[in-house]
Amino acid sequence: MGVITDEARSWADRDYPSYDFVVTATDIAKFAHATGETNPIHFERDAAISAGYDDVVAPTLFPYVVRMHASALVPADQLEPDGSPTSDVPPLPTRRAMAGETTIEFGERVLAGDVVTVRKRLADMYEKDGRSGPLVFVEMEFTFTNQRGALVARENFTRIYR
Amino acid sequence: MTPLPATGTEIPIRQYAPTALDLFKFSASAWLLHRIHYDTPFTVEHDGHPGLLIHGPLQGVYLVQTAETWLGDTGRIASVSYRHLAPAYLGDSLEVGGTVVGSDDDGIDLDLWARKTDGAITTTGKARFTRQ
Repeated sequence: MGVITDEARSWADRDYPSYDFVVTATDIAKFAHATGETNPIHFERDAAISAGYDDVVAPTLFPYVVRMHASALVPADQLEPDGSPTSDVPPLPTRRAMAGETTIEFGERVLAGDVVTVRKRLADMYEKDGRSGPLVFVEMEFTFTNQRGALVARENFTRIYR
Repeated sequence: MTPLPATGTEIPIRQYAPTALDLFKFSASAWLLHRIHYDTPFTVEHDGHPGLLIHGPLQGVYLVQTAETWLGDTGRIASVSYRHLAPAYLGDSLEVGGTVVGSDDDGIDLDLWARKTDGAITTTGKARFTRQ
């Protein structure tokens, strides 16, 4: 017996608006401190320039920050009681969410001053039987490009609802 | 050109013991609003967890950071994938390590993992680094 209804399938079949993130040195420093980075290229412009970059360099997984803002930086009435953005929650009886699996390919590094555009596509939705009931897997594809149109990262991410 | 480590080489283990402050900082820096990372009563009563969860993406950072710190300027990450096998909770200490599992002219492939001190794997991953 499946839990993925026609309503959930039609929810999945749509275009998501692209989102532009203007990357500041402050955004980079916050993420770098939050993840315990100590390399000065993430904090000091002079250190980044000495290392051969044009400006402060974002840590490798900074595109995660971009895609979270794209879905969660919304008015309060567009958030679920658990804090998840409503736009990310399929109309399903299984509502408790967990991160599943992700695969990321990296292109150009993100620097302070970049404008990173993220495009999101729902790639697949399917279910499996879990120990405590059905698990629904929602696969999303994210493409991150910078202001020159160069690829920054491409990510395939699976969120699990139980 | 500095050579990259050979196949079979083990990555030195790094220790992570994130505090409530660390979990909050990660949520705040990414604008990740999911309550299971900062709201203990909600996490226990609504989602049935024993405590706040250490973010999956934060463990992904730990995997990447462990490999990058070890390789320094000799390699640049080309891709990473990771999968969460079991939850890690506030109070858990994580050990992160890995092994070089392949090597060619352009770079190396790594297997990476994060485990609790009892040996249970919470996150497993793979990464490719290209020669600089």
